[in-house]
Amino acid sequence: MTRTKKTTKADLKKIDAIIGNYRGQRWGLIPLLHDVQMAVGYIPPEAMPRIASGLGMFPSQVQGVISFYTQFYTEPRGKNIVRVCRGTACHVRGGKTILKLVKRELGLEEGETSPDMEYTLETVACIGVCALAPNIVINQETHGDLNPKKVARLFEGKRKK
Amino acid sequence: METVTITLDGVEVSGYSGMTILDLARESGVDIPTLCHDRYLAPTGACRLCIVEDESSEALLASCVAPIRPGMVINTRSPRVLERRRLLIQLMLASHPDSCLVCDKGNQCQLRKLGAEMGIGLVELQKIPRLAATQEVNPFIERDLSRCILCAKCIRADQELVVEGAIDYIGRGFATKPATLNDMPLENSECTFCGTCVAHCPTGALMEKEKSYRGTATKTVDTVCPFCGCGCTLHLEVKDNQIVRAKPGESPVNHGTLCVRGCYGYDFVHSPERLTSPLIKVDGEFQKAPWEEAISRVAAEFKRLKQEHGADSLAVLGSSKCTNEENYLLQRLARVTLGTNNIDNGSRLYSATSRVGLGQSIGFPGTTNSLEELENSEVIMVIGANPVVSAPAVGYAIKRAAKYNGAKLLLVDVRPTKLNPLAHIWLKPKVGTDVALLNGLARVIIEEKLFDEEFVARKTDNFDGLSQSLKPYTLEQVEKVTGIPKQDVQRAARTFAQAEWASIVYGNGVTQYVNGVDSVMALANLAMLTGNIERRGGGIFALQRENNAQGACDMGSLPDFLPGYQSLDDAQARSDFERRWGSSLPGNAGLSALEMIEQAEARKLKGMFIVGENPASSFPRPSLVRKALAALEFLVVADMFLTETARLAEVVLPSASFAEKEGTFTNFEGRTQPVRKAIEPIGGCLPDWKIILQLSKEMGQPMPYSSPQEVRNEIEELLPFYQRPASADLEKEDVEWAGLESESVRTKRLYRGPFPSGFGRLSPAEYTPPTDISGNGYPLTLLSGSVLPHFGSGTRSLRASRLKEFSPHSWVEVSQDDAKHLGLGDGDPVKVASSIGELTTTIRVTDSLPSGLLFMPISFPDSPVNELFDIKLDPRSKAPFLKSCAVRLERIKP
Repeated sequence: MTRTKKTTKADLKKIDAIIGNYRGQRWGLIPLLHDVQMAVGYIPPEAMPRIASGLGMFPSQVQGVISFYTQFYTEPRGKNIVRVCRGTACHVRGGKTILKLVKRELGLEEGETSPDMEYTLETVACIGVCALAPNIVINQETHGDLNPKKVARLFEGKRKK
Repeated sequence: METVTITLDGVEVSGYSGMTILDLARESGVDIPTLCHDRYLAPTGACRLCIVEDESSEALLASCVAPIRPGMVINTRSPRVLERRRLLIQLMLASHPDSCLVCDKGNQCQLRKLGAEMGIGLVELQKIPRLAATQEVNPFIERDLSRCILCAKCIRADQELVVEGAIDYIGRGFATKPATLNDMPLENSECTFCGTCVAHCPTGALMEKEKSYRGTATKTVDTVCPFCGCGCTLHLEVKDNQIVRAKPGESPVNHGTLCVRGCYGYDFVHSPERLTSPLIKVDGEFQKAPWEEAISRVAAEFKRLKQEHGADSLAVLGSSKCTNEENYLLQRLARVTLGTNNIDNGSRLYSATSRVGLGQSIGFPGTTNSLEELENSEVIMVIGANPVVSAPAVGYAIKRAAKYNGAKLLLVDVRPTKLNPLAHIWLKPKVGTDVALLNGLARVIIEEKLFDEEFVARKTDNFDGLSQSLKPYTLEQVEKVTGIPKQDVQRAARTFAQAEWASIVYGNGVTQYVNGVDSVMALANLAMLTGNIERRGGGIFALQRENNAQGACDMGSLPDFLPGYQSLDDAQARSDFERRWGSSLPGNAGLSALEMIEQAEARKLKGMFIVGENPASSFPRPSLVRKALAALEFLVVADMFLTETARLAEVVLPSASFAEKEGTFTNFEGRTQPVRKAIEPIGGCLPDWKIILQLSKEMGQPMPYSSPQEVRNEIEELLPFYQRPASADLEKEDVEWAGLESESVRTKRLYRGPFPSGFGRLSPAEYTPPTDISGNGYPLTLLSGSVLPHFGSGTRSLRASRLKEFSPHSWVEVSQDDAKHLGLGDGDPVKVASSIGELTTTIRVTDSLPSGLLFMPISFPDSPVNELFDIKLDPRSKAPFLKSCAVRLERIKP
């Protein structure tokens, strides 16, 4: 995956301000990372040494925590996050095909973000609405009972040619 | 501490509360297998192999982290435990390649050992996908993570012992692996290649990259590292008279760590450039000669010169790299056989300042406490030193103290170092203004009544004189001179004085400056004012560049002192030695190292014997030194290599390396440690002590020793502070160290209480504006210093194949501003010129230097920094100034 956006000075400034709120407090690492992600959208790798020195940790330790949790991202992500469910129920009901279709619609592989920063495609193990399988979630909205037509309609007009 | 009794495998055993089951089991001689446990690392319970069964609760406990509780009934080998351990090993092997036959870890692999002990052969479990090996280009370490068992020993060693933080786990689940930041190769990370992680890795995941030798060592020897003054214990693995590996040995000094030099720099011993036969110059060409001929030639020439020009036309330059015994013999050779006090050693360049400064103030010429106690300090002031590079074991200890023991680090340095991220206060005085700053600190401490009144009254004198001398150093004045804001000076002084235990660590950034003696005295004043002498966790730590700088001086390889710093004027001491050696001793003080060069140039000195030193490279103005040495009528050099100095000699004698001889080194703390022979001398080499004995015999003055042990016996008999302490007054720490050492030589502290004279003298130190900074057509100030992975003038480190491969050429560091101003970029060739000399090198642009400052490493004879420095001697220490000079930088047109 290639980086599509370079961290701006403004972003780093925001991050420095956030670090200021937790200076010297090791416990603050995870809330700090959440704050950074809220403010910038992701955690730029070049921020790791700053975060580490702010909290009195090693940069490699900060990276260890970030890479442990799937909820932390070190790449910029699209405006819309598409999550295709790969849970058992969805799988039985053709989730695999749905994933293939979404990939084709967006022109993205799993984990990728479109160059225009519109879409990020991810998969998820189960979202808990198995009754409606197969499912996908776009941002906060769940779309169930999917079939190829519905998938095409979902991305109609939004799709990048 | 509360005693806790438990039942262990049916036997009642007692420990104290807080002890783990594993600790107690090992103490009781019960073996429990472990993979992730290490005595130097905090236990984590990662591998679970140490599980034991608590029969009262039927729980399986990881014994390395489970504390003992009263009444526990522990079974370390119950059927459940054994079965579970087998399963654990099988699971580890399931994600481990079946490559034991070709793995270089061989029989040292602990996973293989445990598998074999449990009778586990090929594993029938389904194979778990493995990680790939990591591609790296560095010549030191190879990572094959397919063999990683995730014990985290490498990570913990890196973070807890070396405090570098280059690696930590990345990812989760099966993808978890130890990685650097952004998963880069080691050479692009913070890694310093200290090899500590390799030494701790239980499997073949981390290995030496060098595969020149495969197989199992047949012999291991614990000896002392020959590089810096820390004196780390090296555990050498030997096969077929070849050192195949170096690992950290058990020692309170290095604490399970080494640095890149100790770990990967030993192979200069096997360099093809080693001299293997004596050489005699015939018509300007060296020709091999037998030992008898070489020695008799040297003896005859020295005898002739002594007869024709007197004993003082001869001089001996000893070595801060040779053993104590050799230095002792060498000064006896000079004083008795040759009959002159013209004896000195290479540590003149950096430790003479300490000797004079500390000698005048605290009355003891060296470090006053142990490394372990440094780690207990509440405040550590590091001034004019970059211990992470120049004395890595000290650097690690300081970092551990700051990171894990809550010590406040007070850094005084114009350049940021790797200690900076841990600094509490960083003071950046202008180059050469240390004395003003230190006096300013002392003044604040006195004015605010922060000094230790009782200690000052009871143990020191001249308090009024000092207070008087500090009058001019007001905060305003100090700020004006040093450029450090008033409030920072004040804050630093308060921090230092208010600590219960405070230490001062200083290095060549203090001792090699023009007013070094004053700086040292000012530092000693701070320590004495705050009562930090003879106190736990406090003291003065004078770093030494070379392994036996302290010892060489202790042994009297000095022109003005007999062994043990006994003055030449001390009739009692003189007669003691005269009686022992059966000869009268010359009474006049001799020439110091640099004076020898001056006298040689003036053709007043006729003959010199240089042992293990390379003044033609390490002294200021090497070209001038070479001219002076060439002017000698007769020069003999004993060395391992045909150094710049050896090339000028009439006779060159091949010396054995540290690994080929017995003796002792005394480290910067004053800890005397045994050097043990690992291999037989290479080719026709002889240890220096044998060379000296043969030479003295040939000159008609045989010395009555046949081994280093016999020399040591005499040293211990005649030197008050090398005497074996009577068991009654053994200090606690001495007992511990004695316990570590089963052989006759023990490691022990040399420093036995402060102020031999009864009082420490608070000595006024005067600030004089620096002369060796930019000005007069030389707009930049150049600082010189050590860099990893090299050492000293590079004689050995540039002959260690891996160190040379990693860092073959010199450079000069330039600040971004200056580079921009001069239109220079990374890698551009430049000429660096001072009023004395010039050299060419390439530049490295750095953001760590303030503009106006340059930094250059000292270890590359191809770009000899010393050519830029003049031979100007401090009148008190007779040492040259080798730290800073004014230079000009010019682009070289391609």
